[in-house]
Amino acid sequence: MALLEIEALTVRFGGLTAVSSLDFAVEAGALVALIGPNGAGKTTAFNVVTGVYPPTRGSVRFDGREIGGERPHRICARGVARTFQNIRLFRSLSVLDNVATALVGARRSGLRDVLRGPGWRRHEESLDAQARALLARLGLERFADAPADALPYGEQRRLEIARALATGPRLLLLDEPAAGMNPAEKEELAEHVGRLRDQLGLTIVLIDHDVGFVMNLADRVSVLDHGEKIAEGAPEAVRRDRRVIEAYLGTDEAAA
Amino acid sequence: MKAVAALLATVALLVALDAWLSRALNPYYLTILARIGVAALAAASLQLVNGFTGQFSIGHAGFMAVGAYVSAALSVYLGAGWIAALAGALPLPLARSLYFPAPLVAGGLAAAAAGLVVGIPALRLRGDYLAIATLGFGEIIRIAILNVDAVGGARGFSIASPAHPGLDLRYESVGAIYGVALLSLLVIARLVYATGGLAFRAVREDETAAESIGVATTRVKVEAFVVSSFFAGVAGALFAHSEGYVHTNSFSFLRSFEIVVFVVLGGLGSLSGAVLAAAALTAAPELLRGLGEWRMILYSVLLIVMMLVRPEGLLGRRELVPARWRARAGGVRGAPRD
Repeated sequence: MALLEIEALTVRFGGLTAVSSLDFAVEAGALVALIGPNGAGKTTAFNVVTGVYPPTRGSVRFDGREIGGERPHRICARGVARTFQNIRLFRSLSVLDNVATALVGARRSGLRDVLRGPGWRRHEESLDAQARALLARLGLERFADAPADALPYGEQRRLEIARALATGPRLLLLDEPAAGMNPAEKEELAEHVGRLRDQLGLTIVLIDHDVGFVMNLADRVSVLDHGEKIAEGAPEAVRRDRRVIEAYLGTDEAAA
Repeated sequence: MKAVAALLATVALLVALDAWLSRALNPYYLTILARIGVAALAAASLQLVNGFTGQFSIGHAGFMAVGAYVSAALSVYLGAGWIAALAGALPLPLARSLYFPAPLVAGGLAAAAAGLVVGIPALRLRGDYLAIATLGFGEIIRIAILNVDAVGGARGFSIASPAHPGLDLRYESVGAIYGVALLSLLVIARLVYATGGLAFRAVREDETAAESIGVATTRVKVEAFVVSSFFAGVAGALFAHSEGYVHTNSFSFLRSFEIVVFVVLGGLGSLSGAVLAAAALTAAPELLRGLGEWRMILYSVLLIVMMLVRPEGLLGRRELVPARWRARAGGVRGAPRD
């Protein structure tokens, strides 16, 4: 059974249809890319899956359960984590605290923090160790004590991934993780993402502008244009698809 | 064991300090000291909402008023009888000390309840809208109390029981006021400076991101508001019982504004900064007696100068905490590292 199933999803903002009858399914353990030109509805689809917007019509099922319209923090607790296109870190907090905030063990009653009974210190230390392990996984451990907004751009993107992983997800949604990166940074990122899938058994959906970055990374690529899915398949096949080329470059008539 | 020893040492120190102060200083200075304690507690409690959770509330005096009036009513209508009954078996000072926590807890709980009722609708708003709403609620609370005859209405409310005329219900012990303020500060600091407390700052930094990592932002905001209201209520109860008389004029918009100034001048996101600013700005007008009514102008000028010279406030987001404490794992998680 597919881990994520989007069926006939439509999202409207007033008169604008951002996503139109989208069907999209992701098998557990897959690494799938969602590509398309600006304004194609990729981020809107992510926002519906993570609860930022409710669907206008259609359904979103995660692990067989309908999650469309649930609050984002509930969806996160079910095992869906994400990063943002325009980086959204807790800028004045330290790199370590950015990750620690997201840990599942950090969600507990304030009463225990006030009383600090036996076992409290051990719990805090274990959270600290978990956060540091995640930083190490993304190659950020040497920045642990720096404020998040002091990080170089590429590292900020990786920190967002580390923070998302701290929530213990089964499905990880990466919104343009390679945006604004130079080729060397992109390659390093691709390595990290591939390793996350292989080592953690994560299911990953990532958004990108074009097929270039995801070419050697994704098992499967879906292409959106004007809120509709226009192509789907192996990266190589999608790259040659006539409708995809038209969506990016325009048709002969349009050019004339 | 170490915690118990520290607690006993602190209590002993406060008792000794109290005994020394009440002989060394005249009542005028003792009153100023008491007011500083109350102001510091009010400022620290508002810091949780405005500084750490990033929600701009400017109606804090309303919750102080609830705490002050509920605790005063308890003392006048019930407490006096309880103390008289206790005094039958115990020495009077001990009976009064035993009763002292009751009005504080009652005032705190009543204010927390008011905070919950106000917070749930108001915290759906953001930024300026939230500020206006909290300001409005603060005034509504004040004016509602003004119309309750059982607590004196526009005449104000003396904390003295007609049924027990000789009994002094006031509590002027500076040591006790600072003890309560210290304990409250410790609770707020422990709440905020733990991994769980990072959720408050996550909401301040970016609500969308906080939700996306599993922080129930609405709940966190309401929690901050309720806890903050509780300690504002405790501050109000301390105020009422140290002054011996309460009037709604003490809890007007100006009072709310004063507390916001403490928080902003001290540094949004610094408990020790709020306490310092509260102490300095409560003591200053008393020491500069001549200024009187000009105090609010001094505040405004100070605010403007601060905004120009030090926009992050006195301490910014730093705390005056020994590095030794900060180094202990998780002990003050999230304190800016320098």
